[in-house]
Amino acid sequence: MSWLPYAVAAWLFGIGLFGISTSRNYIHLIGCLSVCQSATYVLLLGIGYRWDAIAPIFYDHPPGTPAVDPVMQALVLTDIVVGATLTALLLVLTLQVYKRSGTLDPERLRPMRKNAGGGRVGARQEPGAEAQL
Amino acid sequence: MPDWFSLGWIPSAVLPPLPVALPLAMCATLLATAHLMPGRWPDILASLTALAVAALCGLIAVRAADAPLVYWFGGWTPRAGMPLGIGFSVDAASGWVAAFIGTLFAASFVFAWGFFEETHGHFQILMLLFLAAMVGFVFTRDLFNLFVWFEVMSVAAFALTAYHLDESALAGALNFTVTNSLAGFLMLGGIGLIYARAGTLDFEELARAVAHAGRDPVTAGAFCLVATALMIKAAVVPFQFWLADAHAVAPSPVSVIFSGAMVSLGLFGLAKLTAVVFTGSDQVRGAVSLFMIGAGSATALVGGWMAVLQRHLKRLLAFSTISHAGIMLLGIGALSQGGTGGLLLYLVGHGLVKGALFMVAGILLATRAGIDEIALRGLGHGIGPAGIAMALGGLLLCGLPLGLLDQGTRVLQGALLDGGHPFAVAATVVGAGLTGAAVLRAAGRIFLGLGPDPGNEAQAPSEAEREKANRPLWLMLAPCLVLLALNISAPEAGVARLAAKATPTFMHQGGGFGHGPEWLPWLSLALALVIAAFALGRHKLPRWFSRPVRATQLAPTRLLEQVHSGLIGDYVTWVVVGLTILAGLLATS
Repeated sequence: MSWLPYAVAAWLFGIGLFGISTSRNYIHLIGCLSVCQSATYVLLLGIGYRWDAIAPIFYDHPPGTPAVDPVMQALVLTDIVVGATLTALLLVLTLQVYKRSGTLDPERLRPMRKNAGGGRVGARQEPGAEAQL
Repeated sequence: MPDWFSLGWIPSAVLPPLPVALPLAMCATLLATAHLMPGRWPDILASLTALAVAALCGLIAVRAADAPLVYWFGGWTPRAGMPLGIGFSVDAASGWVAAFIGTLFAASFVFAWGFFEETHGHFQILMLLFLAAMVGFVFTRDLFNLFVWFEVMSVAAFALTAYHLDESALAGALNFTVTNSLAGFLMLGGIGLIYARAGTLDFEELARAVAHAGRDPVTAGAFCLVATALMIKAAVVPFQFWLADAHAVAPSPVSVIFSGAMVSLGLFGLAKLTAVVFTGSDQVRGAVSLFMIGAGSATALVGGWMAVLQRHLKRLLAFSTISHAGIMLLGIGALSQGGTGGLLLYLVGHGLVKGALFMVAGILLATRAGIDEIALRGLGHGIGPAGIAMALGGLLLCGLPLGLLDQGTRVLQGALLDGGHPFAVAATVVGAGLTGAAVLRAAGRIFLGLGPDPGNEAQAPSEAEREKANRPLWLMLAPCLVLLALNISAPEAGVARLAAKATPTFMHQGGGFGHGPEWLPWLSLALALVIAAFALGRHKLPRWFSRPVRATQLAPTRLLEQVHSGLIGDYVTWVVVGLTILAGLLATS
């Protein structure tokens, strides 16, 4: 098996992570998450693939014909279902966020930090932190 | 007919899938008929289902006392030693953990009685799905099946977090969803790698293949990915950021489950995989020992410190959960019977206590319409029993030598001392002390009116929150007290016997375990009382004393606050950092 699918999977995952960590828009961020997930598809299919083998359906092939690994294909199918669920759920959440706050920028939407939205690092104090100790 | 009462008429062979199938069947029933049911029927049915799951799991645990119960779905038993199907394998420890989860859900359903108006049973349906996924996660012996339950658990949890659909809840749920989806992808990648090496997904066969492979980059890579995924779920530093955001905004009955069961299940899964599947690889064992001890200590300290800094009660409890997850992770890092046995006891004890504390927070939200510690100062009059429960919970968290949590702590500390990790033991003492201090301080301020008069500070910086108020106090208090009572009344000798027998089966290897010194829990208790007293009475101390103490805290506090930025992009960067560290340790060990 060549190293190419593994390299592609690693690249996809890395570029997806980069996209998530720099994203300023939730729709874009969800797209990046899907890119990360595509990395798992490529990895799994690459692992299950055999050269010169048929799809694992033996309807018109005699048993014993070399076939690609059906387990990996089953995993990818499950993975696609999971991905669809997640994307749908995330998009619904994003829609609700937009309805309530009118923005899709993660930096303006920090949980538990009401006046968020200033500069990037350290612009916000934890609520009431100094009041305690 | 004594045999009827001992449930001897239920054959063991059909038991394992029932606790998963039952809540799923109830989900479907509720989904189809809840809108036709009058009033509180969904509540009643859901509570009864959770109780039935707890009872079934208890029965399974009793039956599995000598050997694990194994069930192959669809009759796909292994042919010629090769497992082709997917199986459940339930040892006594897994059975008891599942029984604990069922109990916690039952308590949470009772607590949530009448919490939501007109839900058409959606809340109960999501919770039952969550319950089924957790039991499946605990019972399975197939790595891919583990992933499926992990994802079902996650999706139910994401939806439950955002249940209120207000701004905070949505932002918290988004952070939670993105980080935990990444965890799912990492896990799937790891599963692919290990399958490429072993050609099977069954735990026992995988263990054989791992032991045979020896020092192998593919196995190590698979472990790295799967372990990172489970540690993201378990909120271990540096993967912990999502937890405080999600637990603080979820409805209280859901937070009970999140903190009590979901986080510790990540650790349960990690303990199982480390002990059963990856134990044959010296490379993995070496890295586990280093990483888990280091990350566990850091988690215990960071979580405890952050808990002390909070004034939003649920956020405070969420950070305390992080701290205790760190302590449990140390049990895995000890790589011994005592470590794992202590982890299992601690998991149950901590779940009971933390569940009860989140219920107290829910009671305050419902009856006092507030969750901010400063704003609630002195408002606890009239709900005294809740205050007693909160104080007791705080004392148990920081090591009051009573009950299951304390027993787990002592076994864990004993294992860490035997393994030569004195620094980790110190971290357990300080971490537990800090979280206990935070809870005790809040209890003192809210229920006794201690601490300085807040003046203008009483304005809570976070948005106003309240939960549905017209529920009777006793109905919310009863499950909370039951959970605390379960923790305290666990018979020590019986539990010790049970743990000593169940742990070797869980870990697939023999051995015994001892206890840490008796004075260690008292030390964290004393630490907690001193810190709580200092926080509440600081304004009465002379300035020459309180000022330098405060100055020493400023720098680390600022740093921690900056790191907990609430930004999903930063969280993902930290995931990458943690993953890199673990990979580096695996490569060099």
